[in-house]
Order: sequence, then C-alpha cells, then structure tokens
Amino acid sequence: MKNNFKFLSALIKLRLSHIMTFRLGFFGPFFIDTSYFLVQIFAFEAIYGHVDSIRGWGHGEILIFIGTFSLINALNMTIYFFGVISIPEKIQTGELDLYLTKPVNPLLRITFEKVNPGSIPLLLFSACIIIYGAKECGTSFSGANVIGYLLMILLMAILYYDMELLIRCFAFFVFSVNNLVKIESTAIELCLKIPGIAFYGIYKVVFYCILPYGIIATLPTQMLIGVLSLKGILFGMTIVCVFTFLALSFWKYGVHKYESASC
Amino acid sequence: MEIIQTENLTKRYKRYKKQEGLMGSMKGLFHREYEEKTAVDAFNMTVNKGEFVGLIGPNGAGKTTLVKMLTGIIAPTEGTIQVMGYYPNKLEKAFKQQYAVVMGQKSQLFFELTTEDTLKLFQQIYNIPEDQYKKNKNFFVDLFQVKDLMNVQVRNLSLGERMKMELIVALLHNPKILFLDEPTIGLDAVASRQIRTFLKDVNESKGTTILLTSHYMEDIKVLCKCSIVMNHGRKLYDGNTDLLFEQYQKSKKMTIYFENNADSGIPESCRILEKTKDKLVLEIPKEITEKVLEFYIGHYSIRDIGIEEEEIGSVVERIYREV
Repeated sequence: MKNNFKFLSALIKLRLSHIMTFRLGFFGPFFIDTSYFLVQIFAFEAIYGHVDSIRGWGHGEILIFIGTFSLINALNMTIYFFGVISIPEKIQTGELDLYLTKPVNPLLRITFEKVNPGSIPLLLFSACIIIYGAKECGTSFSGANVIGYLLMILLMAILYYDMELLIRCFAFFVFSVNNLVKIESTAIELCLKIPGIAFYGIYKVVFYCILPYGIIATLPTQMLIGVLSLKGILFGMTIVCVFTFLALSFWKYGVHKYESASC
Repeated sequence: MEIIQTENLTKRYKRYKKQEGLMGSMKGLFHREYEEKTAVDAFNMTVNKGEFVGLIGPNGAGKTTLVKMLTGIIAPTEGTIQVMGYYPNKLEKAFKQQYAVVMGQKSQLFFELTTEDTLKLFQQIYNIPEDQYKKNKNFFVDLFQVKDLMNVQVRNLSLGERMKMELIVALLHNPKILFLDEPTIGLDAVASRQIRTFLKDVNESKGTTILLTSHYMEDIKVLCKCSIVMNHGRKLYDGNTDLLFEQYQKSKKMTIYFENNADSGIPESCRILEKTKDKLVLEIPKEITEKVLEFYIGHYSIRDIGIEEEEIGSVVERIYREV
C-alpha cells in the first residue's frame, strides 16, 4: 500500500512535469473546461429557468443536482478520465504489453497516469453552484448530511469510474468501442439534465440499475437535502459494489484473454 | 542451472477468414469461417542462468510471440512454461520484479521529459532503495558514457541514444533476465556496436541472462554463444552459434567502390548482385572471401570496400531446407 502511494506520487509528479513542458497545454484546458462548464450552465438555465418544480424539487434542489453532477464529472476529468479512455488504444496498439510487464498494478498506473489539473477550476465552480443552490433552497444542512453527501460523492465517483472502465474493457474483445462510447455519452448527457427522480418504470430500471448514470448526482443530492432513505443509501452502496466487482472482473478477464498486437 | 524452460509450448491464434468482395463481407455478417494460425508450435527450449542466447528467425517466425509468452504478456494455448520457477502469465509481482523487457519498437521513455525523470518513476515501480538506485544508475551511465544526456529531453536524443536510455531504464533494478526484442533495429553501425559492447559487459559483469531476438547476424554472432533458430513457429536449430554459422552461412556479400570506372573481372564462383560504373556487389562463397579481397586490392584502385554477413533470411531458409 505504502509502495503504491509512493509510486502514485512519482507518477503524478511526472505527469505534471510533462504537462508543464508546454505552457499552452497546461493553461489551455483551464479555459476550455471553464467554457464547457459555462455552456452546461446556460443549457441548464434554458431548460429549467421556467420550471418551478420536478417531483418536489425546486430550482434550488435542481441547482444542487447540476452542481453535484458537475463536481463528480470534474473529479472524473481531473483524476482518471484521460487515463481510462486511453485503454482501448493501448490494447489495440499493444502498448499494454509494457504495463503488464511491470511490477505495479497496470490498471492503477493507467488510471492515474493522465491526471488533468486543467479541470480543477470545475471543482470550484461546481462547489459554488452547490452552495448557491443550497442557499436558494433556504434550508440549512446538518453536518451529518454534509459528511454523508461527501461520502456519496466519493461512491458515485467510483461508480462513474466503473462505468467508464467497463465500457473500455470491451476493447479486449471487439475492434472498436466507439459505439459503446456514444451510448455512454448520450446516457450521461441525458442524466446530466434530468434528475433520477424524474424517471419512471423501465427508464428507472435502465438508469438506476443497468446504466446507473441516473443515480450519480441524484443520490448525493437527496443525501444533502435530507430525503435519502436508508433503503436509498443501501441501494447506492450495492450498485457501487456490484459495478466495481463487474468492472474489475471484466478487466482481469480481458487481461487474461489479451493477445497483444503484432507491431 | 535452468532459468527458462518450455515444453511443447504452443500458441495458436484464431483469425477470421474473410471471403472476397462485398458479398463475402455480407456473408461474413451471418456466418463466419475462422482459421487457426500457429505462431509457436510445440516449442522446447532451455536457457541456463547467465547465458546470452540469440533467437533468430525471419519476420513472422514466432520470435516475438515466444518472448511475449515468456514475459507473461500472453498466455500459451498449450504446453508448459517456466521462467525462474514462475508461470509467466500469472503475472505475479515477484516474477515481474526479476526481469526486464526491451522492445525495439516500443519505448518506455517519456518523450517530453528527460531520462532522469523516467528513472525516478522506475525507481518507484521497482521499489529500489535510494542508495541502490544511485549505485545502479551511475554504473550504467558510466558504462554507456551518457552522463551529459541524462537531463536532455528524450525527444531530442538520437535513435541510438534513446536505445541506450531504454537499456539503462530496463536494467536499473538489476533484473535476472533481460528480454531484448530487436534492440538495434534502425541503428547505424556505430550505435549498434556500442549497444553490443554494453550488453556484453552487462552479461559478463552482472551475470544477467539475456535472450536476444534480432534480424542482424552481427548481433547474434558477436554476443550469443548459443542460438535458437526458428521459423513458422518451430525450432530449427538450438546450439552453439559458431557452429551454426560454420554450418549454414555459406556466403558473404562484398561491396566494392572503385576509384575510377573499372571494368572489373569477376572471380569464379562469385555471383554478381549489382554492377554499376564504379560499384560492384558480389555474393562470395565464405571460404574464398580472403582470396577475392586480395584479388581486387591487388588489381584495382579501390575507394571503399565492405563485407557483410549473409542475411538472416537466407541462412534460415538454408537451415529449413537442410534440417
């Protein structure tokens, strides 16, 4: 464990040195990610500016929801997104060979080797939106709610990672995962705009259990505003455990079946 | 003491046999035919500790597949395999701690950073204590005389310098086995010679077992006491390298550049490969190389002359015909 931390620390230092080699490459993402965030906010305002309530959630709760999704997405973008999305290319080009021959967990290395400080401002913007939403709700939140919220954020960031990993692991078996990535993007886009509480019937099954993007921002929001039941907490934890198990097993199975590339 | 051992090691790939044209592609949507390609076929090999073994074969012979199985990257289809007492494809950390692999076409270095940066990461990957790290680094840096290059961005290094750095990075943790896949590919004669000298030193001073795959006869001839020749996944020869060359390398290639336009004569039993006004390329039976050389030096004004070993493909072809 201690060795892994030392390794991660060296890896992240190296990554930062790498990014800082090019000034535009270092500062550029700050502007790009900020612009992307602003577009999302405008889109949100266009949709929800004139809607008073969705199944009991007012404008303030919706703002917390949007801020939460943004926060989890920013964590994803800052920490592991760029590493995980490089998996298909590594498999197809045989670059994974070099990871498998080193005495550190290849998945750990891939996950953290492309941290992206350019998305850090998104974390701050997201926090601002959440605070603004909380003020608009007009309720004060207990310490337990806040701690529960942060734990839920952590769990949902893991779930987000699991989903990304699961989809990229298909590259061990198929030529291209582009179409799966398109489904992922569409589902995320949808669940970013519509809170999970708005889904019914089959849609709820799909976005809560099969492609659980529907719970990613919904459960933490419910936790913060104090409406998440024990059943909801257990459901969230179960989904995270199941998908973590699936993602890691799929990765291990993929590595076992890996045939490398002849280049 | 045996450090690598395989028995009936086989690797088969299944590949889609696509039928011709659009109709063939459409049929393939519903019914696919697959064919099996045997990359490594019932391969037996033994390598002893401290040996420097050459793995020779033309493209598609199965060399890289074999190395990938020995390093655990891919799993064999059949047969047994044992490297330092481990089954490689289990990918155990303790196993990976004890070997290194350098693939000529895949770099472990970070192009925008310096080798020193990469070494720092490898120190953590292999969990090397600071004093050991410094000692090993200095040893290899001195051996290669690359002190001035350690803080240069890798992208600014020449191909030869990069390969030296790849080797330093790979050897930093004192591996017991070093797998080298085409380390001199694309390098000029000087860089190739430096790499060979370095590898020889490492093998002798550190006792590192080295398995070298190469297309270049010179690499194998200079470095490896033992050689394994393979083609179509099968082993054709396993034994002493000098004997191999004595037995199967029948000719040499001589390139002569004349000072003036010369209408040169051709000694008997030599074959012309290329002839221009001032250049002559000949294939010469190995045993008369010296005589032919004396003949041209004695009779013509020569600007330059070069003698090369017969290329690996021809030798393997000959072994294949004769074995």
